[in-house]
Formats: sequence, structure tokens, C-alpha cells
Amino acid sequence: MGIKETALAGTLESSDIQITLSEGSGIDIDLDSSVEALYGDQIKKVITDTLNKYGITDAKVKAVDKGALDCVVKARTMAVAQRALGTTEEPNWEVL
Amino acid sequence: MEVNEINIAIPHYRRKWQSFMEINGITEFSPNEVDTIEKTFLWDEDGDRAATGSIAGNVIKYVAVCSKYKEGGALFNKVVSYLMQQAAQMGRFHLFVFTKPKYVQSFEYVGFKKLAVSETGAILETGVPGVTEYIEKLPHFEGKNGAIVMNANPFTLGHRRLVEVASAKNDHVYVFVVKNDVSLFTYEERIELVKQGVQDLKNVTVVSGDDYIISPATFPAYFLKSDQEIGTYQARLDAILFKDQIAKPLGITTRYLGKEPYSKTTDSYNHELLGILPPEVNVEIIDRKTADDKIISATKVRQAILDDDQALLHEFLPETTMEFVKNNYPNLKEKLIEKGSK
Repeated sequence: MGIKETALAGTLESSDIQITLSEGSGIDIDLDSSVEALYGDQIKKVITDTLNKYGITDAKVKAVDKGALDCVVKARTMAVAQRALGTTEEPNWEVL
Repeated sequence: MEVNEINIAIPHYRRKWQSFMEINGITEFSPNEVDTIEKTFLWDEDGDRAATGSIAGNVIKYVAVCSKYKEGGALFNKVVSYLMQQAAQMGRFHLFVFTKPKYVQSFEYVGFKKLAVSETGAILETGVPGVTEYIEKLPHFEGKNGAIVMNANPFTLGHRRLVEVASAKNDHVYVFVVKNDVSLFTYEERIELVKQGVQDLKNVTVVSGDDYIISPATFPAYFLKSDQEIGTYQARLDAILFKDQIAKPLGITTRYLGKEPYSKTTDSYNHELLGILPPEVNVEIIDRKTADDKIISATKVRQAILDDDQALLHEFLPETTMEFVKNNYPNLKEKLIEKGSK
């Protein structure tokens, strides 16, 4: 499943991550992180897993990471996924 | 730290905002820079101004951070991400910034990618769709590729001649039409008339210049010192952007320009292109086509519409553009008169 509209969540402040979702085919992640060599794969995995829980399998992801922990990556991905699907009024609690 | 949206049309806020910018070294507030601003935000710490930033279309401009908070860049990051969130709420996910070369790194740190950097200025972008997506969507051709950039306001026999010359000398020619709508003819009208006017030339593709062929009219320059030549700054960045981001991936080896006998601006612009594009991209300047010893130009066409000079229009315009002008005559003339009275 793809997304309905482009969306953004998160900030560029320390310990946060800013994620933009736009239309694409497959999950294509463009990650910009100062800890990419160490944690790049883990960050991408959290993003991909979270998106998959929402049924999103086609989206272009741009992520600018400022040292976010996994729980933050997950929270920001959930927010951006719900915005991109237009379902912010009906949060999907099962993803938690 | 507290952030508020301020309305700089109100003198009280305008003074507060402008004096803060001035303290931080930005002194250019001409109407064509300031009037495009849609939203301005001001960060306060205990009543003291700490930072500001504005959104104008898809451009982030007038960003300033008080020197007290500059260290580490935390407030700068906060300002930029806040502006990006606000822009996202306005449905804008693709943003540009025009800034001094020394701030390139700061913007790169928050995910911006540089499109062009000269000694006086830099253009960066962030978000989607970016320049990579723009180039991907264009058709790609093997062989010798030429390019022409035009505003075509409107498409004349002079433009036609330029395209013909390029078409004969290349395997393929891209015609980029400037997208910014600051002209008498709208972007849709201009690109449609170009397409109709070159339809018979099979090796010519007419495409939108999108946000990457930049019209000087919308090119922010507020951060320059007044003694720096604004025209040169714009032309150089535009040339570097064309060379690196457009000509290189599309395999364009020659750019064709019309010789400019009247406008000093265009002439110096051509001069800058000559200095930057070669050797990777050759520049060929083609003499303007004349009709009865008169040099064809779109400026004269617009004047002729205003003056009801049918004879000149017939001399200067291809049938396709002539047809459009005829059908929209009262409307075009009205627009011209309106512009003149402003």
C-alpha cells in the first residue's frame, strides 16, 4: 500500500529525527545521520518495521537524524505515517 | 524560549523584526524581497529577541540567530525545523534557501543539499521532489544534446530561429521554459505556444524549467551587501546550477543564447554564462533574427499589442502565437495597461 499525501514529522533538534514521507515504490530510505555508520541499519529497520505495521509498503522516506533513540524514531515514524495516511484522528493503537 | 508568529505589516513588529535583522548583519529590505514574505516567526527569551525566520512561497528567508545563541547551532536547528513544519502545514515539502557561502554547512547539517555555490552566494534545497526527481522525469537522449532557456513572453520568430539553429546543429535539443509567473503571458500559455511553435522540429523537446531555471525576478538577494553586484550573483549561481545539476546529468554539451543588443542586464548575464559554462558546456551566441532590419524581440511584441500595431505583430510572430494573441487580444491589452499604471 502507498500513502495518500506527503507528510512530515519530527524536528532537527538534538536527539530527535525529522521524517518526510512521499510517494514512491517500495520503501526507499534516504537517511542523513551523523551516527549512520554505527546505527544506520538499525534506524532504517525501525522505520521500515513501523511503516509495515501501518500497511505502508510503498513510500519514499527522507530521514534527517540527530541522534534519536529507537523509541523516538518509532514515535516520529508513527506520527508521519498517520499524517501521510490521513488517519491522525483514528490512531492505530495496535502498532504500539 | 518562546516562539510567536508576527505580522511584519504592522509597524511595531516590523521595527522589532528589522532592527534585529540589522544587528545581525542583514540590511536589505527592498519591497521585492519583503513583500513576498507570508509568515514570519520570532523567538524570544525573557523578552529578548533570540532568532527569526520567514517563509516566502517555497523559500526560507531572513533567518537570523542572535550571536549569544550561535554556539553549537541548537537554536538554528530549532528555527529551521520549525519553519519546515510550518511550511509542511501549508502543504510545502520542497524548500529552498539562498544564503551566504559560509552558512552552507549549517544548512547541510539539517538535511539541505547544495545545488550551487559561488563566491558570493549559495542555493540549497530540501525535501521532495528535488532536483534528482526533476532530472529523472525528463526524457534522456544519447548523442549531441543542445539546450536553450527561454521565458518566451510570448514565443516569437526570433525564438523560433534560435531553436532552428540549435536543432540543425544537434542530435537533440531541450528547450527549457522559465516557470516563474511574472510575465504578461502565463506559464501555461508560454509553454503551450513554444510547443506549438516548434512542433515540426522532431528533435526538439520542450520542458518546464521548474524551480531550477531561476528567473531573476524571484531570486532572493537580501543577504548581499549593497556594494555587491546583484545581477552578477544571480547569473553566476544560475549558471553553476545549470551546469552541474542540469547539463551534466542530461549530457547537454552546448547552450544557445540569443545575442542581446538592447538589454544590458541580459548582455552581462550572457557574459557570466560564457565565463562559467565552458569547457564542459559550450556557449554559442546566435545573432538575432531581423524582420525588415528590425530586430525581433518579445518586448517589442508586447509594446505592439499595447499600440495595436498589427503589422509588427504579423512580422514578428509565428502563426501559432499570432492566433493566440488575436483570440485573447482585449484581455492581453487590459493586462498590459494595468501593469503600466502600477
